[in-house]
Parts: sequence; C-alpha cells; structure tokens
Amino acid sequence: MSATTAAGPGPLQRHGKIGLVPVRYGAGLVGGAEIVLAEMARGLQQRGWDVEILTTCALDHYTWRNELPAGARDEDGLTVRRFPVVVDDIPEHGTLEHSIMSGAKVPIQAQQRWMNSGMRTPELYHHIVDHAEDYRALIFSPYPSWVTFACSQISPSRSVLWTCLHDEPYAYLDLFSPVFTGVAGLLFQTAPEHELAHRIIDPLAPHAEVGCGVGVPQDYDPDGFRARHGIDGPFLLYAGRREGGKGWEELLSNFAGALGRSDLEFSLVTMGRGPVNPPAAVAGRVVDLGFLDDAERDNAFAAASAYIQPSRYEAFSRTIMEAWLANTPVIANGACDVVAWHCERSGAGLTYDDGFEFEACLSFLAEAPDAAAALAAPGRGYVLSNYTWDGVLDRVESALAGWTRAPQVAVAP
Amino acid sequence: MKILMVTPYPPARDGIAAYAAQAVRSLRRDGHQVTVLSPGPSAAHHHLDLVGPRGALALAKHIRAGRYDRVIVQFHPDFFYPVPNRMRDRLAVATGLLAAFRVASRVEVIVHEIDYRFGRPTAPDGAAARLMWRSVDRIAVHTEAERSRFAKAFGVPATKIALVEHGSDFARNTHFDRESARASFGVPLDAFTFLSIGFVQYHKGFDRAVRAFSGLGARGARLDIVGSARVDDPGNLAYSNSLDALAAATDGVFRHRGFVSDEQFDRWLVASDVVVLPYRSIWSSGVLERAALYDRPVIATAVGGLQEQAARAGRAQDITLVVDDAELRAAMWARAGGRSGATARASWRVGSLADDADLRARVQSEVVRRAVGARGTRLGGAVAAGTVDPDTAAAASRASAPVRRVANLELPAPTSGRSSAAFVKRLVRRLTAWELEPVVGEINALRAATVEALESVAAARGRGAAERDDPAGRVPPS
Repeated sequence: MSATTAAGPGPLQRHGKIGLVPVRYGAGLVGGAEIVLAEMARGLQQRGWDVEILTTCALDHYTWRNELPAGARDEDGLTVRRFPVVVDDIPEHGTLEHSIMSGAKVPIQAQQRWMNSGMRTPELYHHIVDHAEDYRALIFSPYPSWVTFACSQISPSRSVLWTCLHDEPYAYLDLFSPVFTGVAGLLFQTAPEHELAHRIIDPLAPHAEVGCGVGVPQDYDPDGFRARHGIDGPFLLYAGRREGGKGWEELLSNFAGALGRSDLEFSLVTMGRGPVNPPAAVAGRVVDLGFLDDAERDNAFAAASAYIQPSRYEAFSRTIMEAWLANTPVIANGACDVVAWHCERSGAGLTYDDGFEFEACLSFLAEAPDAAAALAAPGRGYVLSNYTWDGVLDRVESALAGWTRAPQVAVAP
Repeated sequence: MKILMVTPYPPARDGIAAYAAQAVRSLRRDGHQVTVLSPGPSAAHHHLDLVGPRGALALAKHIRAGRYDRVIVQFHPDFFYPVPNRMRDRLAVATGLLAAFRVASRVEVIVHEIDYRFGRPTAPDGAAARLMWRSVDRIAVHTEAERSRFAKAFGVPATKIALVEHGSDFARNTHFDRESARASFGVPLDAFTFLSIGFVQYHKGFDRAVRAFSGLGARGARLDIVGSARVDDPGNLAYSNSLDALAAATDGVFRHRGFVSDEQFDRWLVASDVVVLPYRSIWSSGVLERAALYDRPVIATAVGGLQEQAARAGRAQDITLVVDDAELRAAMWARAGGRSGATARASWRVGSLADDADLRARVQSEVVRRAVGARGTRLGGAVAAGTVDPDTAAAASRASAPVRRVANLELPAPTSGRSSAAFVKRLVRRLTAWELEPVVGEINALRAATVEALESVAAARGRGAAERDDPAGRVPPS
C-alpha cells in the first residue's frame, strides 16, 4: 500500500509496511505505551500506510498468561500477529530487580540475566528474524521490555523506539545503551524526556520530539456519570494502573493523611486495573469503578473536582491531557519532571512534593472552587494546540520518512 | 523478707527506673527490706556494670554475699548484653546469668523487652538462654501476648509466667489538685488541655498529636507536650527538633522540655483534661496506668500492648483507642467539643484569584507556604516566629523537595482481600515489628534531618542575600 501527502518539506511517500510492536494489544488494556501504539497504528493506517501489529498473546502484565490465540488475524481492520509468552520463574529475577531498583551497581552480566529471567517471546523474536525485511519500520515501546530490548536489535536500521523514557533506575543500565544509540530513531513525547535522554545517553540515535496524541471527546455527561455510579459530593479522580510504580500507594497515603489532618469532603474515585487496598481510615471514601469505556472515562474526568497524577515516572501522561480537555484541574506529583513541565507550561495544574503540599492543594480545591475552575481553564487550549493526533502523526511520519528507507519498487520497463 | 531489686533507678530518666521505683516503694511499704542494685550510678544502694559475662558473674557474687531471700530483676537486654552482640556473647551472658540466678534463693524477672529470636533450642546461645530462663522462679510480663510469645520462644512453662498490671504498684506522686496544678504551670483554668508526656522519641509519635490537634488552638484548646529526648543520639535529636518546630508552628501547642520529676509528671496529669498517647509502637504504657490514678481520660493508638491494657482497664478507665491519624484527630476534636473541620483553618486568600493573570504561580506559592507551616520543620517555626520571610521559606522548601518527595517509610498495611492472607500478614508483622520499626524510625529520622539540613542551608543563604541587599542588615519582614 502506498499513498502520498504533503506532510513535511516534501511529498511523503507512504511506501512499505510499518509494524508496531506493543507488548500487549487488545480492548480494555490499561497502559500508556500500549494504548498509544494502538492509536498510532490506526492513525497511520487511516493515512494510507500498510500497518501491522506484532504483539503477544498476553493481556496481563503481571501474570503474562497467554490469554489470546497465537497467529495472525484481522482485528477491527488491522492485521494483528500474536506470539506466545514464555515466563521462567527464576528466583534470581526478583533479587536482581531489587538490586537494580535500589540503585546498586549491577554488572552487565547480571543485567542480562535479569532481562532474560522474566517474560520472553521467542516466537515473536524469530518472526522478526525471519521477516524483518518485510517491514519498512518496526516501532517498539516501551524501552525496558524484553520485546523492545531483544527485538529492536535484530534489524536496528528498521527499529524505531517510542521511548517512554523515565528518570528511573532502568534508564541508567548499560544494558539499554544499544537500544538508545543504535536504532534508526527515537520518538520523544516531551522536551523533558528529550533532555533526560541527553543526560543519560551519549550519543543518541537520530531523534525527534513528536508529542503524543490525545483523542478529543465530542461532549461530556458529568451529571449522568454521577447518577450512573451513585457518586455524590466532590471527588478526586485517578485513572490508570494501581501499582507502586504509578504512585497509587503513595496517593492513598497522602489522601488518608490529608483527610486525617483536615476536614475535606472529597472522595477518591479510581478507574483502571490493580488492587485498591485503601487504608482502613479512608476505605469508605475510595471508590473503584473498574475499567470504564472511553466515553464514560471522559465523563469521569468532567465530573471530578480534580485529576490526581501521583506517578513520578511519566514520559507524557495522557490522563492529565484528558482531564484538561474536560476543563478539570490537575494535581500532580512534582517529582515527575514531565508532568511538572506540562503544569507549568499550561498553567492548569498544581504540583506537590509531599503530603502536606498535597493537602494544601486539596484545601485550595475545596475552599476556592471558582479559582480552581479558573486554574483549569487554559488546559484545554494547551492540549488542542499541542497534542491532537493530527499534529503528532504529521511529525511521526516526517521522522519515519527521514530515518527509514522506502522499499524498492520495481519500475515497469 | 530481704529483697534485692536489680534495675535502673532514679534519678536515671528511664521508664523502667520509674516503674522500679514504684515497685520498691510498694515492697518497702509492705515491710520488706529492699536493696537496689542498678547498672549505673543512681539512687540505688549499689551499682554494678552488668554488661557481659563479667557483669553477670559480678551479680552472682553480689547475690551470694547478700544472702537475699528474693531477687527481682527488671530485665532489658541492654542491661546485660553488649550492643551489638554475637552468638558467643549471648552464650557467655546467658551462662553467667544462669550462675547468678542459681545462687539466689528465689529469682523473679520482670521482662520489659526481649529479643525472641535468641531462644532457638538448636543454637548454643538459645539453649543457654532457655536454661537461664527456666532457672527463674517467676517471670512477669505486662500483656497476655507477651506471655504466650515468651513461653514459646524460650520453652518456659506458661504457668511460670505471670501477668502483672503495669500500674499495680503505682501510687500518687503529687498532692496538687487540678486548679493548683494548672496555676503552677501557667495553664488557664478554662483551657481544654490535652497532654502528651514522656520521652520524646519517634515511636512515641507526639507529632501525630500535634497534627491531629491543628486547628483546635483557635477554639481555645491547648496541647502540652512534656518531655525531652531520652538519649541524645542524632536520630532522637532530629526528631525532637522537628517536633519543636511543628509545635512552634501550630497554634495552641506548648512544648515543655527538660527534666520532669515524678511529682511534676503526675502534676501534669492532674492539670490535663485528656491524656493523648499517639504511639507508633510501644510494649506497654506506664503513662496510661498513671492517668488512671487520676481518672484522666486517655486517647491512645491501638498499638503494642495498649489494646490489652485498655481491655483490662475495662470501664474503670475512660480510654478511646484509635487506629490511625484520622481517628486520632476525630477523637481529639470530639473531646474538645468540636468537629474537625476546615472552618478552623485560615481560608485561602483568593478574593481575586480567579481573575489573576498568573493564577497558577500564586496558588502554587500559597501551597508551598501552607505546607511549610504544617510540615513541622524548623523552617515552619522560623516563618511563624517571623525570622524567615515567606520567599526565603519557599526557596528553602524547594531545596528540600527532592528529599521530601521520597515519602516517609511506612511498613505496608497487613491487609488483604483474603482473610487467610491477612492473618499471615498480621502474624508476620507481629513477629517482625520489633525489629523493623526501629529501622523505619531511623530511616525517617535521617530523612527528616536531611530535610532540615537542606532547608537550613537554603534559608541561611536567603538571609545572607537579603542582608547583602539591605545595608542595615535587616531581615525582610514576613
């Protein structure tokens, strides 16, 4: 399939197949990198690219259980090739993971043992070994997955990374140096992510800041959302994976601390996946709605008093954009450079550095709701100006055109 | 009866010393001839360095020479075992104590703390410890939980382990009534007064009481925190300093440092309306028992042996047990006749905020300013005292942000959706808390000290810059 457009300095030749390689793919997944690659795949296909998804049979990134059948099939108009996951229960993995996360110096041999002692997909690997030449580009994400680490090195000149780089211990492992230095290109979502990459890795592979696309809802139904879920009173919203790496436990702790010290009427509404486990003192104030479809998710953003982003490891944070599109202010962990950067640039969010600042933010929401609404107001414009899919796909296409070669097309004599 | 009491003893500032003093008084009132031997210089009749095998053998020699009818030992491992200690140290000490106990006619040991790990029968030190404990005629602990754990850990028949009420020997130390006690401390008669009293240590959690109290000062209540650090180690001092700063920044909270005699201790109890024990961990509490002597209501966290002590007190004592900060706050506010609420807090200065062109910067700055006041570092105290201006405080706060973003270490809640898993988690917590909680406390104290240091340096720089800008050397007004 081929097509031509005027994106970039010259006409873009949409020749060749693009393989997007998310670790998981399917409806109902919670995970930024996976969702973005899925949306990018559909966007690129709509623009005329020949697109394929290469992924695993797993949906749960804790168990890596093979839930879906292996093989190629059409899923909503996209070709999806699934490959089984192999998980070896090697005790050393946990020990090494702990060493890495605690910042200990882990020898490269041990880093390699760590990487190979968790989930693997040998059949996907060998599919790329066998068929790399069939693709113009293979887009991997996120960087610290076995799939990206192993498969991006098979044909580096075709490999492009949607990096999702965070300032986390993994980023400093020698193990990933080839991934960042030797591939065809790196797609960054924000300036802080770009700067972080320069701080950690030298020299970087060709790279570009392309942003990240966010869908813009047509309308919102906050009252209907409240009625359907029986939610009265003001609430704070958290959407995403409920796990330590995303700051969920810290959010619960800060929420309980704030309610313990101040008489705040907020409840905390959460949607997504993972155990909730609220402290006993606030158990009655934490509401888990499970996984919501896109429309109801957007309604939740519109109904909330504020969206809380407690994660310190965000390469972009789609959820804060979804909050701003719904004119909802954002309260975010100041430890995350990217989110703090968004809050400062947009002027539509506050950051906190500990539980007391978190409490002060909630106090502001409770006591000055008009000012909180005014705070949120510039957020929607910020998202529409910078992060719609149209603009992002223009930049992605331009980067791909520069970094990868179109397949040779036989010309008729 | 001729009795030897081996114990730390006043004027040593020590809870066990105070406990022993009450016991000695009680025994002497019963007509016994009580001799006190303490591990350091004190008001005791004798003192001996009891640490190590030499200490144990010196104790044996003393017991043999004294021909006592009964030897009572107030036991804490630090009195006898070197710190840190190895297996051979523990083996030697247990053997020495075994010798000391065997020469006595009758030995009773009141256990205040012990390391349950060192009773394994297969290890030489464990076997020696078991022999040593079996040679004791009567072992006393303060809670049922301690009794069962002790029996299991050291192979001692449960029948040999007695449960003694912490306050069984307690007598009143003051003759003051509420009015005169308040007058002596300058506490207004009409002020509803909470009291947290005792050594200032992280695990006592007095900072929790201050935060729970925050806002009640505006309603005429007060919280008096009486006591100072037990040991001047860096962790304790850092915690004490942070508590001082938090108290200084919180309206209605008063800190009283320095030595507190037994009489003053009781006088404070008499002066108070409610005693607050916001402990993070504790074996058992003498304060709770002493509060009962004066019929003072108690709000206490349900940790360690407090739950059991409260259950034993039953309806005889007004005790409210709370499980976390939210309940602590609610209980204190309920006692003070109010509802914990935002109404007591200063409202946001947001009259025209909604129209502000730089709204985010102003609100963010106010968030930082408020948190500085609430956090309880010296910086908050300095801002409250007007010696540091808000801009300097904000800059200092930014300097400490990287450390503050690393939240205080907390042991994960022993909860689970499955009751069996929750049970196992609670069990593991009980077995390991004594070892983990001090480590958590030390790490958090280190974090707090680092925050203090970063903020102090940044504030000093800010003041220096201000003084350079102002030839008169005035600090900018707050």
